[in-house]
Amino acid sequence: MKRGLQVQLRSNSPVHLNAEFECAPGELVALVGASGSGKTTLLRSIAGLHRSADLAGAVRLGSSVWMDSTQRIDLPAQQRRAGLVFQHYALFPHLDAINNIALCAYSTPANGSKDSKKIAKDWLDRLGLAELGERLPHQLSGGQQQRVALARALVRIQDDDGRQDASARGVLLLDEPFSAVDAPMRQVLYRELAQLRQSLNVPIVLVTHDLHEARRLADRIVIIDAGHTLQSGPPAQVMRSPRNARVAQLVGIHNHFHGQFNSTGDGCAVLHWGDLRLKVRDKGKIDSGKKVTWVLAGEAVQIIAIGQAISPQDNLLACTITEMLPLGEISLCRLAVKSTPDTMQLNLPTAQLSALSLIIGGSISLSIPIDAAHIMPLRS
Amino acid sequence: MDWQAARVSLILAVLTAALLLPLGLWLGRWLAFTSSRAKPWVEALLLLPLLLPPTVIGFYWLMAFGQGTALGAWLRDVLGLRLVFSLPGLLLASLLINLPFMVQPIQRAFSAISPSVREAAWVGGLSMWQTFRKIELPLAAPGVLAGIALTLAHTLGEFGVVLMVGGSIEGETRTLSISIYDRVQAFDEASAHLMAATLVLCSLAALVAVFMSERLRQRGGLSKP
Repeated sequence: MKRGLQVQLRSNSPVHLNAEFECAPGELVALVGASGSGKTTLLRSIAGLHRSADLAGAVRLGSSVWMDSTQRIDLPAQQRRAGLVFQHYALFPHLDAINNIALCAYSTPANGSKDSKKIAKDWLDRLGLAELGERLPHQLSGGQQQRVALARALVRIQDDDGRQDASARGVLLLDEPFSAVDAPMRQVLYRELAQLRQSLNVPIVLVTHDLHEARRLADRIVIIDAGHTLQSGPPAQVMRSPRNARVAQLVGIHNHFHGQFNSTGDGCAVLHWGDLRLKVRDKGKIDSGKKVTWVLAGEAVQIIAIGQAISPQDNLLACTITEMLPLGEISLCRLAVKSTPDTMQLNLPTAQLSALSLIIGGSISLSIPIDAAHIMPLRS
Repeated sequence: MDWQAARVSLILAVLTAALLLPLGLWLGRWLAFTSSRAKPWVEALLLLPLLLPPTVIGFYWLMAFGQGTALGAWLRDVLGLRLVFSLPGLLLASLLINLPFMVQPIQRAFSAISPSVREAAWVGGLSMWQTFRKIELPLAAPGVLAGIALTLAHTLGEFGVVLMVGGSIEGETRTLSISIYDRVQAFDEASAHLMAATLVLCSLAALVAVFMSERLRQRGGLSKP
């Protein structure tokens, strides 16, 4: 029996979905996609708020089945132990902070006969809002409202007496929870979420359009586009080796180009790029002769001075500087690559650029190590 | 002052509001939250009594339930019910024409509740009934009060339908507004004045109540995110 949250959902209308991911207890998974990508619909489907006759698949938490279209199981939202923090918090506007939380604590059977007001007060204390329990939502700041919403979600899953199997205690679902607070507050809330994670040990699913936020908070990210989960993995891994061109685009990689891949049989291959030929690695994943897209890892690229020798493993690239914006230690450079139709965008050291007297309109030579190109099939 | 008429008016107004309240809550809430294709038709039907001349409603009422019609005869013979020139008939007609006054403010109040607030209640474990009792009803309460106030005032003031359906039977169907008409016809201006002023005050009080409840609704923090 798997622990944690397992989601496999398919739907054609009204929203297209073809999604699959898991989230272990204590793990934080970020669903990342542009607006309209279906990430919020996916989260709502887990909570039982998005319902449609067309929705097929399964949602399980540990051994409990929340939804399974083959068994015709589809629990209502009330019976799924999901704590959901809404994008704009959706606090009950006519109830003070205590009662916002207590009402949900009271409606959660697992809290048994425990005093729901006491549960609410304890959570407010824990989140540093002890003094504000009697305030109505509109009397609270954005950050305070967010914490009340978080407490209200947590009473759905919290069960401190340890009777229950930890893997089935519930999930915490966060729908763009940081989008409505200002940047300094966001930093505070990031830290609080990190602290909370350690004590909770339940699966946490975060929906965000902000890749930096996802990289900062998540153990794994799941890239979603048009309802499809395209790739999942640790943030660094997804950034380093996007599975296809769409993922590369979605994770904001600028330098991706088209080419043709020809294996040379010795663990190496030739990448035809415009009229250029680059030496690259052949990892045996792509058939020879295929059209491919590829991504250049910008941090591996070096500026080469005139007459400087390069390693035989590296490629030499001649470019024209079309734009150079100094941003302190590094300069943002746009380079037209000779013999190709493409331009690339690189962050190069400002000191080195000026030492070599490189200027806009001038030529620049770069070395591209054999491992700097990450090659992907056109679509997969 | 025609105390008999005042009594009939008051009974009619209170009963109309009391009987319409549960129906108005159900219908207003349904219209606010439904995505049914029937919604525009139901809304149009609801508003129809507002636009039709009272004489048209009264005329069709007589055509449908009059003593000479099959339906009217059946109701009288089988159920012992007379729906013209009687207080029960007047009450039923009053329910019909007051439907928009009760439903409209209630519908608007429920529509103003943010969908995610209701969803937050469901995810928080509240059943549909608990969500209605603890979340929706308190948030919609000012609209419900407005619906009650408008229904009371409108019932007190209705003239055309009452005259057509109820006639002017003393102690049974003669309301204040009919009595004013009778007093004016009899050149008894002093009585007419007193009753007319009473109605003006009642309507004014109802309208003030409506606008106060609107303020209440806005202050209650029913701000959309």
